[in-house]
Amino acid sequence: RIMPVRWSRYNPSYLEPEVKKELYEKPSEELTEEEREQMELKAVRPIKAAPPTLSSSVFTDPMISKFTNMMMKNGNKVLARSLMSQTLEAIKRKQLEKYHKAPENEKETIECNPYVIFHQALKNCQPIIGLSNITRGGKTYQVPVPLTDNRKRFLAMKWLITECRENKHRRTMMPEKLCQELLQAFNNEGPVIKKKHVLHKMAEANRAYAHFRWW
Amino acid sequence: TLRLICTTTAVQKNNAGASGPEKYTEAFIKKQIEEFNLGKRHLANMMGEDPETFTQEDIDRAIAYLFPSGLFDKQARPMMKHPTEIFPEQRKIQWGEDGRPFHFLFYTGKQSYYSLMHETYEKLLNVQKHQDQLIAQDLPLQKEKRNLAGSRWLTKIELEEMLLEKLSDDDYSRFIQLLQKLVALPCADIEEKYIQKFSREVPVQLQKVVIEPLQYDERGVAFSTGEGKRKTARATAVVYDSGTGKITVNGIDILHYFPVLQDREQLLFPFQFLGRIGKHDMVCTVSGGGRSSQAGAIRLASAKALRSFVTEKEVEFMRQAGLLTVDPRVKERKKPGQEGPRRKFTWKKR
Repeated sequence: RIMPVRWSRYNPSYLEPEVKKELYEKPSEELTEEEREQMELKAVRPIKAAPPTLSSSVFTDPMISKFTNMMMKNGNKVLARSLMSQTLEAIKRKQLEKYHKAPENEKETIECNPYVIFHQALKNCQPIIGLSNITRGGKTYQVPVPLTDNRKRFLAMKWLITECRENKHRRTMMPEKLCQELLQAFNNEGPVIKKKHVLHKMAEANRAYAHFRWW
Repeated sequence: TLRLICTTTAVQKNNAGASGPEKYTEAFIKKQIEEFNLGKRHLANMMGEDPETFTQEDIDRAIAYLFPSGLFDKQARPMMKHPTEIFPEQRKIQWGEDGRPFHFLFYTGKQSYYSLMHETYEKLLNVQKHQDQLIAQDLPLQKEKRNLAGSRWLTKIELEEMLLEKLSDDDYSRFIQLLQKLVALPCADIEEKYIQKFSREVPVQLQKVVIEPLQYDERGVAFSTGEGKRKTARATAVVYDSGTGKITVNGIDILHYFPVLQDREQLLFPFQFLGRIGKHDMVCTVSGGGRSSQAGAIRLASAKALRSFVTEKEVEFMRQAGLLTVDPRVKERKKPGQEGPRRKFTWKKR
């Protein structure tokens, strides 16, 4: 067997697979110029195999799978996935409790869909600007730097998980802790949002060093 | 009489490596070609075949019969090929008798590459001049889009063969960038011939695979088989056209064989993608690998089996969704001097 090292097993000409069914059901008239070109390119190039986490069912969500992978320890995907589903169930239960107790006029404002809550909480946790260490003349400065989308999402998820693992009471289960954190983040409260605000304030304070960035 | 004791440097042997690889003269190559053709006719005569219609494959078979060899390396076995395939194409000597080189860019070292770049840039300037002329005359610029998807540029190896020179990756990428810049201009149709020298056609669509027709069971039910693999797992699936969406793996129902939701999702992925969840029955056998690779193997096998039930367009959609490609990722080997495939031993200062 030929074992390549340090590069992907796929040839660089392979393209990413597109799993969503709606994009294939669109008739050809509705496609824009770029989409037409993309379709033609896809017809000629080979395409990578879809990974086991990706599927076209309504229940797959790329953000949820990324979060599950980050929660996973030692490759135990079964456990991580069950924790995730328990978290979503717990969120739904809490929201339903609130819904049934609330008076009539407030019933519409309460969000019951756990996926919507998860996405909104993640969005609220994402920092806009980050700090990076730049060494000039022997001293290391914390320079404010714009972040890419991927980096923002990664930081938000990492903060949520570390917050749940470390700063909570030892006897509570992970789904409960996560559920609490997510609901707090959804309402723009809680320690993760505070951490994000602290980061923003530090960036604002170090505004003077912004010109050190060269990229 | 005096005897010569001290020897001059002229008598000492010339430096063997300085002249580079052995250079063949044209007369030598011509002689080799004549000998090859003569030898071909002799060989045909010996084998009792017609000397006029003796192809290269016949030559290979005859040589393998007359000189059997047990060597593993095919290149080491006796072979008889046309001299152009054996002797690599070489440049003739680039300078005249007085030592003066013919090409004006000889002293750059990569004369054909730089002359090519100069030519291409000249064409680019031509196109720009033409464009300016059209703008000056207020004529509309031609906007016919070339079919970018059907053609590809020459690879580095092909370019090296064309120029008979070694290129670096950087040189190659610069050349391709220049070509792309040339193609991007609206009036590039003028230099179409020149550009075609450097582009190859890609086989139009990747649907080279033959879709098998449906087979019919004793009861009259249509079915088709497919094989799939992932890591070390090998699976075969038989998809029936009957009715209920029952799936059996190695004689066991999927709920019992795959307790994890992710694996069952993978099994149903091709059916859900085509919208045929309740319409097909499946019986599969799988061996080897772990739980996730077995699920991936069955997924590939069922997708291959479903191709016979479905129109060509939907097969193309399945391919674009990544259902029909074999996943090439396998476990990376452990290297000596390291603990695992990537993890190094703990670094100790002393």
